[in-house]
Order: sequence, then structure tokens, then C-alpha cells
Amino acid sequence: MAISCTDELELNDPGAIGDNIALANDANVKAVLLGGYNALSNGAFFGGNTLRNSELLAANGEIVWSGTFSDPSDIFNKEMAATSGDATNLWLSAYNAINIVNNVLSALDVVNAADQDQVEGEALFIRGIAHFELVRFFGLPYSTGNASTNLGVPIMLTPNSVELVSRNTVEEVYTQVIDDLEMAESLLADGPNNGKASKQAAAAILSRVYLQMGNYVEARDAANRVISSGIYDLMPTIASCFNTGSTSEDIFDIPVSTADGINNMQTFYASTANGGRGDVEIQAAHVALYDGTDDRLDLIITDPVTLELRSGKWLNAFGNVKIVRLAEMYLTRAECNQRLGTSVGDTPLNDINEIRSRSSLDDLGAVTLGDILLERRLELAHEGSRIHDVKRLQETITEGVDIYSYSDPLLVFPIPQREIDVNGNLIQNQGY
Amino acid sequence: MRKILPALFLFVFSLTAMAQERVVTGKVTSQEDGSPVPGVNIIVKGTATGTATDADGSYSIRISSDNAVLLFSFIGYNEQEVVVGSRSTIDVQLALDITQLSEVIVVGYGTQIKQDITGNVAKVDGKVIQNVPVTSFEQAIQGRAAGVLVTAQNGKLGQGINVQIRGANSISAGNEPLYVVDGMIINYGSLSNNGAPTNALADINMNDIESITFQKDAAAAALYGSRGSNGVVIITTKRGKSGKTNFTANFQMGSSKPTGIREFLNSDQYVELFREAAYNNDLADGFDPINNPADYPGSWLEYAEDEMDYMSGNGNPATNWRNASTRVNTDWNDVAFQDASMTSFDLTASGGSEKTSFYFGGGFADQDGILLGNQFRRISGRVNLDHKATDKLNFGVNFSLSKTINNRVSNDNAFSTPLQLVAQAPITPVRDPDGNLYDDSTNPSMFYYPATMEKENARFVTEVFRNIGSLSATYKIVEGLSIKGEYGFDLLTQNEDRYWNNLTQQGRDPLVNGYGQSNWTQVFNYTTRASVMWNKLIGEHAIDAVGVFEFQEASIDFTDAQGQGFPLKELTRLESAATPIISSSSLTESTFVSYIGKINYKFRDKYLFQVSGRVDGSSRFAPNNKYGFFPAASAGWILTEEGFLSDAGPLSFLKLRASYGFTGNAAIPDYIFLASYGGVAYGGNAGLTPTQIPNPDLSWEKTGQFDIGVEFAFLNDRLTGEFDYYNKQTEDLLFNVPVPGTVGYLDAFQWQNIGDSENKGFELVLDYAVVRTSDLTIRIGGNYANNKNKVLKLDGYQTEIHPTSSRYINSFIVGQPIGVFFAREYAGVDPANGDALYFVNDPDGDPNATTNSWNAANRIVVGNPTPTSIYGFHVDAKYKGFDLNILFQGVSGNQVYNAAGGFMSANMRYEDNQTVDQMRRWQQPGDITDVPQARLYGNNGANASTRFLEDGSYMRLKTVTFGYNFSPELASRLKLNSLRLYVSGQNLLTFTDYSGWDPEVNTDFLAGGNQFLANDFYAAPQPKNLMFGIKIGF
Repeated sequence: MAISCTDELELNDPGAIGDNIALANDANVKAVLLGGYNALSNGAFFGGNTLRNSELLAANGEIVWSGTFSDPSDIFNKEMAATSGDATNLWLSAYNAINIVNNVLSALDVVNAADQDQVEGEALFIRGIAHFELVRFFGLPYSTGNASTNLGVPIMLTPNSVELVSRNTVEEVYTQVIDDLEMAESLLADGPNNGKASKQAAAAILSRVYLQMGNYVEARDAANRVISSGIYDLMPTIASCFNTGSTSEDIFDIPVSTADGINNMQTFYASTANGGRGDVEIQAAHVALYDGTDDRLDLIITDPVTLELRSGKWLNAFGNVKIVRLAEMYLTRAECNQRLGTSVGDTPLNDINEIRSRSSLDDLGAVTLGDILLERRLELAHEGSRIHDVKRLQETITEGVDIYSYSDPLLVFPIPQREIDVNGNLIQNQGY
Repeated sequence: MRKILPALFLFVFSLTAMAQERVVTGKVTSQEDGSPVPGVNIIVKGTATGTATDADGSYSIRISSDNAVLLFSFIGYNEQEVVVGSRSTIDVQLALDITQLSEVIVVGYGTQIKQDITGNVAKVDGKVIQNVPVTSFEQAIQGRAAGVLVTAQNGKLGQGINVQIRGANSISAGNEPLYVVDGMIINYGSLSNNGAPTNALADINMNDIESITFQKDAAAAALYGSRGSNGVVIITTKRGKSGKTNFTANFQMGSSKPTGIREFLNSDQYVELFREAAYNNDLADGFDPINNPADYPGSWLEYAEDEMDYMSGNGNPATNWRNASTRVNTDWNDVAFQDASMTSFDLTASGGSEKTSFYFGGGFADQDGILLGNQFRRISGRVNLDHKATDKLNFGVNFSLSKTINNRVSNDNAFSTPLQLVAQAPITPVRDPDGNLYDDSTNPSMFYYPATMEKENARFVTEVFRNIGSLSATYKIVEGLSIKGEYGFDLLTQNEDRYWNNLTQQGRDPLVNGYGQSNWTQVFNYTTRASVMWNKLIGEHAIDAVGVFEFQEASIDFTDAQGQGFPLKELTRLESAATPIISSSSLTESTFVSYIGKINYKFRDKYLFQVSGRVDGSSRFAPNNKYGFFPAASAGWILTEEGFLSDAGPLSFLKLRASYGFTGNAAIPDYIFLASYGGVAYGGNAGLTPTQIPNPDLSWEKTGQFDIGVEFAFLNDRLTGEFDYYNKQTEDLLFNVPVPGTVGYLDAFQWQNIGDSENKGFELVLDYAVVRTSDLTIRIGGNYANNKNKVLKLDGYQTEIHPTSSRYINSFIVGQPIGVFFAREYAGVDPANGDALYFVNDPDGDPNATTNSWNAANRIVVGNPTPTSIYGFHVDAKYKGFDLNILFQGVSGNQVYNAAGGFMSANMRYEDNQTVDQMRRWQQPGDITDVPQARLYGNNGANASTRFLEDGSYMRLKTVTFGYNFSPELASRLKLNSLRLYVSGQNLLTFTDYSGWDPEVNTDFLAGGNQFLANDFYAAPQPKNLMFGIKIGF
């Protein structure tokens, strides 16, 4: 009886499998890789919050957070606490993505030889973009010039490590991110975008990384590689870029459907009439930045319920979360060419007019760096790039009487209290 | 005359002599319910003449004198003496003696006479909880048993109730006791899928309960081995007695109201504070829109006034706030609560022949909750049968079936829960002039989606079918040796059916257009058991031994289907949904294999010993640690049986007892020691994600408990009592330990056996029969328990674990009770500028130093969520046909944290209506107050701190019942055995300093674990019930 009963005590979860099975063969490793994308798509991460939080930190009187969730409210008010749920969830979901792909990288040898490069490239892409997002939020800006001493985040390259790790410097993290993304670009196949990494997606993110570092040559060249691939096209109108699945303009986005995925930009930006929470209101100060004939003003709409202004980019709860569009590549290439006095790919003037004409604006006859930066600000408004641009351009954020410099520690997330509590080797950021 | 008198005397004397030898007949019934009592011993006092009542309770006895005194006695009832006088018919009603030492108590794997028990067992008689108008029995035993803490999470019907016996042991595993019904471990706990626990015990009709015993110390609980650490609650249902069939029918009806109300601003106060909050922002920004009209456009004040236009009917002039005559004043507290009525009907029948006896109980209860839209209905039936096939072979069958229908409301954290209506502005009308409800979108005038909309446009019905049954056969091999086979099961099928039409928050997105959900859960839990029982009396040695083999398996099968796109409001089932959204199913299973042995040894009726052991194996634990052994030993000494105490004056009984033993805790999810990858979807493709960090050594949590107790009785058992001291040490806590997030699991926790905790305390029970005559009995009694709970060790490298959310303050800290409140200490308001201040509490700094930066203040231990003292006391009086029962119950030594304070008591941070105390806000330099300056959308003192922490002690008038039992003569004239009318009230008075709705609170969406205790978050108060009932026996 004891023997038969011992068998009765050996039960396995019918809804899960062990790691011995998950990493055992080609199909399973690829399924785990999808798990890595799924981690990227977490609502706390590229499912939307990381975009929203960039905008809230850089509100600058142009948007107001009127929602009741206290974590985003604290971000908007620049009064985050170390216990901030947003800081915690970004940390956890980014390292979750990193760990999943570290598991994939540890099991590359069981992947079909023909697919190994692609699988490795996708894994490195995910690891790179996740570390990049972490260092942008948890470290002081690269543009402070002290990147080699400022603390970034721990670089995690081995799977399932419970080690009590220390923070790497900002410089070290950027170096790792570049290594991963360059390797990814070399391994990955060409696009187009299908919600997964491609050679161009890696190049596009790489151009962002270099731009953030002020390395305009590399940023320009990476952006140019994406544009010149010819795989992507600007959509005919700005409105057609949003509230949809992937378009020809999307280089990388997060798929959302009724079956899976979440679009938290819609959750917080859309009116209650669109099933959102209507927590972010656009202010007159932002509207004033646009030329009156700019089509992009059509994407600033009046909430039928509260009569506040809202972004029209995030109305569809089942629309994809756009992470990087071709328009950004034009803007990056134009800015870098302008700064470097070069015309790699095309002239800054042509690139800017390309973007302007799509939104029914007259072509400029000549272009300045200021024109390019304004164009970038308007084109990419409410898409999550603003605080990072403020930081690299060393601009300021003004909220009422409070002025925050680009390097203000309050514009940097606290290391989550949870992590400080669990891991004594982590040093908290200034101001928390 | 002188000659006649002696003759008269002689005559009278001879008459008397003629009357000397005669027969008295009568009937003995129970005072409780009028049912006949068979087997009552009747003796003529001072003689050897005696008889006993038959199956109908009737007797006949020969007496020799009118002066004869009849003595009626029966186990479990008070003795009664009656002087015969000239009567020839004497009907007697016997009163129950609920404290008698010879009472039979149900213990683990058997029964024992109370005075022979060597462990600590508390019994609550089923009679004291009968007809109490609550949905599950745990609420009815609150205050009845020493050391048993019962906390309802909130006032929603059929929802979670936390029960703790002698404190909480565990950090991550369950702290609820094990529930056993008629020998079978049943399903308990929550099967809810909306974030607010439900209560599987609400499916049990408590009117079927004969007794509830709490197995508290190791001697009692170790018999349940790996599941005994939190104590065991053994429920025994009623059984029939051979004799005439007795019927009882009970009907009651009543109504409920909230026990408490929290006061909020009226509309004038709201307008004043809202404008002020905005104006303060303007002043801070250097504008003065009131004194300088040019500043008004674009000002905060303009913004706020526009907001109020919106909130007061979206600009509708008929309800506009700006005009005193049109400004409405909605009391949202009133809207959140409903008039609640309740009705219930029970019918029982019991009786039987010599060979077969039966009990049948049927019940119907229909109870409204006090919260808008909350209703609970239950229909149940039970049949218990016993049959003696031969002198050697007995069969028993228990079978119960119930259906509960619970119209539920959203969890406390949802806008759609009724009590979150209090966040709405009082200037907002409930409906527009056309009668349509206002909301935050379709007919907008609000910032928060209202429960009113949910009530009228959504459905949330949980239906549970519950079937608990068992079969047993006992065969007596020889006198003193028998074997028993048992099979029992608990089958629970639940559907949580939800539908939201296109006006609701869930369903109104045009892309969604109505949303439906159906969650089916089926739990099948069965036990098979084989036992050998042996007892032997050898001279002065009594031995009683039991050996048991037991196997239990439980499976939970769950299917969730959700869909959207409903063409018509009337089509509310998923078949009408255009798009399936989620469909998923899961299965979890667990098994336990157990070997149990128990020996009781009694010498000379005064030296008592018990030794027991249980080996448990379970699927819940990792390969390296599948089996555990749980021994216990105990001893008792009845001193009053000793020569030196045989005549100890007023002391009539004295027993010392002590026990020590080990129990385990296995209340953890299934499969948690495995490394696992679960399915996810990305872009429509199925993927895998690592979900669980493995632990191949995971095992039981172990508790060693020492108990020493004394039981005593004075004055011929008039005063009885019990005192116990215990010390519970728990080690290898089952602990879901946070690990660094860099490990890369979204859920960065790992189950480990690490950490220690302890509970030490004492319990006192006293009962005193103040008066006990046949006409009048008055009995007072009470219980008091004090428990000190402490975490001794966490995971080894952390000494403190804090909540991940900044809104809550419950922590685990070494040296402190589980879930201790650890927070920044609020220091009031800076009189100079109205800033909220916090004590810095730098251990090395000035103890009075304050700061206006919440981040700069250090957190300290500020309170305990769990009461250190719990008590109950009762008065039971009977006078002729009248009876009165009063129960008070209370707790002390605990605090309650209002986690919604940052919204509702935050000096107008948002549009949320504020508690009325916020009118004390700081307004100008020099103001001394504890409410900071109002700053719209500013966080001035709204973060978690002691500002929202209050004393949670309370005492309640828990139950009052006043009844009248018609005399048997009158009842029999109506062809009834008995007739009783009664009124009963519940929670009639609550004495507390807590300013919220109710200090008995543990907001439901946080109540799933052990950390977040005693938080108030728009949690409904307990209902105050008043009802009238009639009960007949026939």
C-alpha cells in the first residue's frame, strides 16, 4: 500500500511544464523566445507604461495627469517614492524579459541550425532593448558626462541567477546594450515588422541608443540603414499611423488584439468614451506648439465626456503599441546630419520636409537644428520619447513654479525599495 | 368535638393511607425544543424505586406518599426534583446542562467524555447558534470559544471570514483552521475569481449542526498531522434518536441595517473645500483669481469651477452647483446601502425505530445584504441515517445537498463596488431630470464609474451546488474490538456568471459592446478511511486505542470563458457574444496519504494519558521531503478523585493537564516546488514563460506546541472554569520569499522553508449558574484569551519585508507580530504653511524632528493589525416560559488602517468627496490642526502614514434573543409539542473609537494572504439585524 500510495503523491501540474522540457527542443525554445516578447509587452513595460511615464516626467505644463492612480500621479508631480509601483514593475518586467532570453541563449544548441542566428538575434535584441530601457529610467542621463561613474543597472547575462548583484555604471550598460544590438543586427533577417525583431528593428533601436549618447555619427548611420533598406514606407497620413495593427511605417511595435496583449497608452490616454480612463489631459501650452494647418492637430481631440483635450494616437484598446516608426529614423538622420554637416542618405532639409508634407505643412526652404528638434517633438508627441529627448538635449522641464534641470535626480526613477530590501548590494539613487 | 377531632384525624389519616400506594404518570420533554426525552432516570428520592422514560418520553412510577420527591436525571440535562403532592400526572421539562463534565465531546477520530480529555478542546453547542441570521456558522460562534478569533472581512454576504485559533503562525501558507464535517475534511476557503474571497462554509445550513469543537492544542490537533497547525474545527451534524418522530418548523423574518456610518461632506462643504483647494494652487503659483479677476481665466479656480459644473449634472442648469436653489446634496452613503430584509424557514424531522434512526433537515434562507444589489439565498437539505443491521454491524449515511445563489458586488477595490459611491461628489445627482443614471461616460457627470450603473446594467451571480456525503460501516468483531470503513466526499460546483451591458464600464467601449463571463469551478474532494478501534477495561486500567489509514484526494477543475459584442441588452449569455475573449481551463490536484495511531490510557479514573502519532505524505511537497511525522503526548490528573481532595469544601472538581506535540501546515498551493513554464500568448502565437523558481526540498511548516491547563468546578459544579497557557513555536515556515528581481521572474518569489514564528498566550473560560431553580435559571459566563504573536526569523538575510505597494503599511518584521503596521509617523501640520509633517524618526537624531518630505521620514512600527485580546461573555436567563440570551463579544490591542484615507481623508487631493473631519484643514498661518492645507491634485499628507491609522478595539452586543415558550398544556391544546415566539438582534450595539464604518474589517481584495491585515478600503460594515421568529414542534 505504501508503494502504491507513493505513486499517488507524485502529481505534476497539468498546466505547466518543467524547465527540462521547456528548453529541450527547437519548438520549445522558440516558444520560450515568444515568452521573451510577451515579457516586453507587459503593461508595465512596452505594453504602455514606460511610454506614458516618459511623457509624465516631461509633462512641462503641456499635459496634466488627472487620474487617481497615485503612482503615475507621483511621477507627474516628480514626487515618486522608492516604493513606486511603476519603478518596481518596470524593473521586474525588464529583468523578466532579460532572463527569459538568457534562458533561450543558454539553449541555442537545440535550435535547428538554420534558425540559430535568427533566434539568437531576437534574444539579443530583447536583452538589449530591455537593458536600454532600464538604464534610461534608473540611471542619470548619459549626457551628464559622468557615465563611467554614474550608476546604471545590473547587467544580467546568465539565466535564473539569484546572485545579489551590484549596479553597473551607465557606461557599462550602454556598452552592453550596443554589443547586444549590434550583434542582433548582424544576425537578424530583414523586416518588415511583424511584432518581432528584425535587422532594421535592431538598427532603429541602436540609432536611439547612439543618439542618447550623443554619438551622432553612429546614430545617423544606424537610422540611415533602416531608411535605405527600403522595407518601410511612411504612411500617407499621420492619422493612419495610429489605432491600427502594424503599418508599413512601423519598424517595431507590440501587437495587441482582443485575444492577447495590452495597450496601456490607450488605457490611460483614451477617454472613458473609448473605454480608457481619461487620465491624461493635453493643455493649451502643447497645442500652441503646432502650426494651425498641421494635420497632427487632428490627433488632438476633445474628450466627448469631459471636454478635455486628449491625444488621438491612443483610442483603440486593441491597436498595437507603436514602439519605433520610420518617421523617427528620418528625424534622427536629419538631426545628426545637421549637427555633423553631412548629408548621409539625404539632406536634413529633405528629410524634414518629408515629415512635414505628410502632415500638410509647407516645405521649408532651409532648416535649422531648432526646426528639426521642434519637428521631432511634434511628430513623436505622446509616444514616449519626450523625457529622453529632454535629457539628451539638456533641456528643462517647467511645472508651475518648479523647474527641473535635465539631470535632476527627481527625473530618475528610484531603485525599487523591494530590490533594496532584498539585495543589500544595490545602492539607491540620489533623492530617494 | 374533642372526641370527633381524633376521629377526623383518623379518617383523614386513613384516606391518606389509602392514597399512599398509587401510580404517577407523565411525560418528560426538553425545555429547549419541547421534544420528548427518552431514557430519563426517575427515582423516588430516598428509595430504591425507579424507572426510565420510554421512547415517547412517557413514564409511570409507583409512589407511596404524597410527600414523595421524584428525581429526574439524564446526561446532558440538569437534574430536577419535583414534590408529587396530590398530582397523578406530572409532566417535566428538563433544562440542558451545557457545562457538565460528563458531556460527550467530539474529538479527532473519536469522542470522549469531557472530564477525560487531556487536550484543549472548546465546544460550541449547535443550539446556541440556531437561527442566528448570518450566512455561515463562523459568524455565529464569534465570542463563543476562547482563543478563536473570527473576523468578517466586510459586510458582504457569503464572503470571506477569517478564523484564527491561537494566533497566526505562517507568513505565506494558510492561517485558517482545518474544517472537518462528520469526520470528513471538507472544502473551505475561497473559490472566488473577482479578487474578493467567498466562503465555501456558507453552503452549510448551520441549523443542521449538533456541535462544533475547536481542537486547539497539540494533543487535539496533532491527530490531523500536516494540517493541524492552525487548529481543527470539527463539525458534527444532528442525528436521530429512536422514538416517536418529532418535527420542528421555524420561520423567521427581519431586516438589516449597517452597524456604522462614515460621515462625508455635504454639498456646501464640498464646494467650499474644492474651490479652496484650487485657489490655494493659484496662490502658490502667484495668481489670485478671486481678488484679481484678470487672473481668473486659465486659473486653477476656473478649472475647479468648471469641474464642478461637470459634476453637478454636466452643466444642467436644473442641478447646477453655482445656485443655492439648484445645488443638490446627495448623500452617497444612503445610495450605497439598501433596505435589507431577510426570511428563512427550516423544517426538521427526527426519530426512528430500534434499528434505524434518522434526521432530516431542510432549510431555505433569503437574505438581502446591506449593500446595493447584494443578496444571498440558500436552499438545503440533509438526511442522516443510522441503521443497526445486526448486533455487530452498523451503517451510517450522511447526505446533504445545498444550492446557494449569491448576488455579489464587485470587490472593495473596484469603482463599481457600492461603497466606493461615497467618493462621488455630493453636488452630483444620482439621476438626471429624465431619470437616467449619471456616470463617468455615457451620461457623464462623474469622475468615477458608479455602482448605481453596475447595479442596473450588470449581473454578478454566483451559484454553488454543494453535496457533502459519507458512508460508514462499523463491525464489532468482539466486545471492545471493532473495525470501521468510511468513504466521504465533498462535491462543489460553482458558476460565477457575470454580464455587463453596453452602459457599463466593462462593456461600453464600442469595440467591446457588452461583456460576459462564466467561470465554472468544480471541486471534488474525497476521503477513504479504514479504522480499527479497541478498548478494554482491566480492573482499574481503561485503554482505548485507534489505528487509522486514510487517503484523501482533492481536485479543482476550473474553466473560464469570456466574450464580448452582445447584439442586444436582453441577450446576456455567452452564446450571444460575437467575439470570444478568453477561454481557459486549469486543473490542480493534491493527495494526502496518512497513517494515524492514538492510545488513551486511564488509571483509576484519575490519571489520564494520551499518545498519538500521524505520518502524512502529500503531493504538495518536494521529492526530498514527501513525508512527515507528527507525534503528540498528553496527560491529565483529576485531583478531586484523590483522597486528599475528596472533601475539598466548595471545590467539586479539579483537573490538571499538559500536552506537547507537533503539527504541520500544508496550506499552500499545489505544485509550488516544481520549476515550471506556463503558456502565454504574444501576437496570437502561443509561447512559454518561466513562472516558478523551483525548490526540490520544500516541505511542511512545523509547529511544536506546549499547553498546560487546569479545569475546575466549585459549589457543586455551579461555578466551572478552565485556564490554559500555551506556547506555540513554528519553524521552517512555508515562506514565499522575495528574491532579487534581477533573477528575472515576474513573480520574483521562491517558496522556501525558512523563518520562525511563535504564539504564546492564555485562555480563561468561566461559567456560573447564578440561579438554578425549576422556574428561574440565570447563567453567566465568558471567555477571554490573550495571544502574543511574533515573527522570530524571516528568510535569514532580511529582517524586514515591506509591502511592494506604497499604499499599504503591513510588514513582516523580526520581533514583531505578523503583518505589523510599519509606517511613517504623521506629525500633523506645519502651522506656518499648512504642509503635512512627518516625524523624521532618525534613531540617531532628535526624536521630535519633523519634515514635510514623506521620503525623508523613516518608517517605524506603529501598530498591530491582530487583536491581542479577544473575549466574549454571555448571560442566559430563563423564567418560566421566557428566556433571554445575551452575548457580548470584543477584541482589543489592535489597530485598523484606512488605506482609502489617501483618497477620502486627504484634504481634497482629488475630486473624491472627503470625510467631514477634513473641514478642520489648515487655512492660514498660525492655524493649529491635524488636517493639512487643501491642494487640488497635490499630495499634501496623502501618502501612507499613521494619519490613517486608528485604534481598532471594539466591543459588540453581538446577539440578543428574547423568547417565550408556551406551556406544554397550551401547546398540546394546539396539537403541538411546543410553540415558541422570539425576537433576536445581532450587532445591535458597537462600542469603538474607530471613526470608519466598522472596526471589524479586512478589506476583501487584500484578504487573500497573511500580510495585508486589518485594512479598511471602502469595506462595508457588518449588518445590524433584527428579526422575529416562530418555532413549533409537533
